[in-house]
Amino acid sequence: MAKKVLLAEDEKNVILGVRTCLDAVGYDVEVVEDGEEALNSVKRAHPDLILLDLLMPKVDGFEVLKVLKGNEETSKIPIVVLTAKAEETDRQRAMELGADNYMTKPFKPQELWDVIKGYLPEL
Amino acid sequence: MDLSKLPEPVNLDTIANNLADAVFLVDREMEVVWMNKIAEEFFHISMQKAKGNKLAELTAITKLEDLLNEVFEQQTALKTSYEEASVKVKRHDQRYFFKIAINPVFHEEKLWGALVQFTDVTRFHEMEKIKTDFVSIVSHEFRTPLTTIIVGVEMLKEGMLGDLTPRGKEVLEAIGSDCERLNRLIDNLMELSRIESGTIYVEAEPTDVNDLVQEAVRPLRIQSEQQGVELITDLPPELPPVAADFNKAVWVLANLVGNAMRYTDKGGTITVQVRQRGKRLFFSVQDTGSGIPKEHQDKIFRKYVQVSGPGRKGTGGVGLGLAIAKDIVMAHGGEIWVDSEVGEGTTFTFTFPVYQGNESVTLPNAEQEGG
Repeated sequence: MAKKVLLAEDEKNVILGVRTCLDAVGYDVEVVEDGEEALNSVKRAHPDLILLDLLMPKVDGFEVLKVLKGNEETSKIPIVVLTAKAEETDRQRAMELGADNYMTKPFKPQELWDVIKGYLPEL
Repeated sequence: MDLSKLPEPVNLDTIANNLADAVFLVDREMEVVWMNKIAEEFFHISMQKAKGNKLAELTAITKLEDLLNEVFEQQTALKTSYEEASVKVKRHDQRYFFKIAINPVFHEEKLWGALVQFTDVTRFHEMEKIKTDFVSIVSHEFRTPLTTIIVGVEMLKEGMLGDLTPRGKEVLEAIGSDCERLNRLIDNLMELSRIESGTIYVEAEPTDVNDLVQEAVRPLRIQSEQQGVELITDLPPELPPVAADFNKAVWVLANLVGNAMRYTDKGGTITVQVRQRGKRLFFSVQDTGSGIPKEHQDKIFRKYVQVSGPGRKGTGGVGLGLAIAKDIVMAHGGEIWVDSEVGEGTTFTFTFPVYQGNESVTLPNAEQEGG
């Protein structure tokens, strides 16, 4: 069964790019466009991995990280931050909140596949 | 000028009290002897109360003691850099930035005290912050659309979205390579933004000099060919590695070569040379361009300074490159300078230490908050 990846991202074009990229290698992708939806989706769908943007409406990515990594039921789900925020302070903050990986936009599909494969060795 | 001839009520007090700067006269004990009205207003104290008090305590700017000591020891005007002579002061919930100038005062040829002048540079700092924030926002806003482009181009190139004609592949290669270029530009902008915010972190590692030079020069080769300028690298074999942060060192060298390119006309030559002297490597970028007038040579390493003059074309920059290059070189424990003659060309030289051990350096933010 295909591994479930939750993509939390509010930019339509990025969603199209990342989704196409993940579909191509066979992941089951669910997309949410704000932090609140991301939290609801995790509760409902229990994804195997989360790709998380930091700047999102309603609840931002930092808050999503805090909630999910602070909850025993969800803390083990790998969270890869995908963000345009390249400042070291943001990276540190995300890592301190429990992010498993921090990828700065832009990235190449191969880089994204390699990172995901590190957490989901089998499709 | 004979001041006695000034019309009433103009006299020295009138002049002092109408200066835009806050001015204090202190004696050898660094105690206030006199101050102008602006100083009274800004520091909220009357001259009567201030007299006899240490200026550093009165203004709560502890740095003043060191600066005054320096002037008293050297018996010359304060010569520290802009950053070292700048202070951040909080008053009435507002933040002000001052540049301090100190001049020694002599009486009967003996050092008597000093004149301390505070120039309000708050507006300049605000503008600088706007620029830094702007750069940060622009780089951030570029990253998101670039993601879509790069992901799309790569997948098309790999044939994951269907077949392409050979010309289609060629065009995609070009788009991909220009995306990389934009990405590097954004990284550079971010680097500038970080440096502008006051701290450079340098991770000095053993760095191969040939790699460093080739990496800096490679992107400029096509431009030099198109411009008809010969770009020569002159490196003796077996140079030892330098202790340098590779990306930052490449940035410095590429910036100097890029500058040389802008000021060298068709038929000219740019030579990148590296030589070892003792425990230092000397990197020089020599051009046969228009040269920099002597009166501008000491200014060009300051931020937002661009030199104009005969034969010097518009740079299209903001006058930050050399200031940042200097910060980076100094953070490595090196030096940078310029030799130039108008009409004969310019040579920029910087030094990096030969690698000896592992060291990391942070360039501190020089500002101090007082009050």
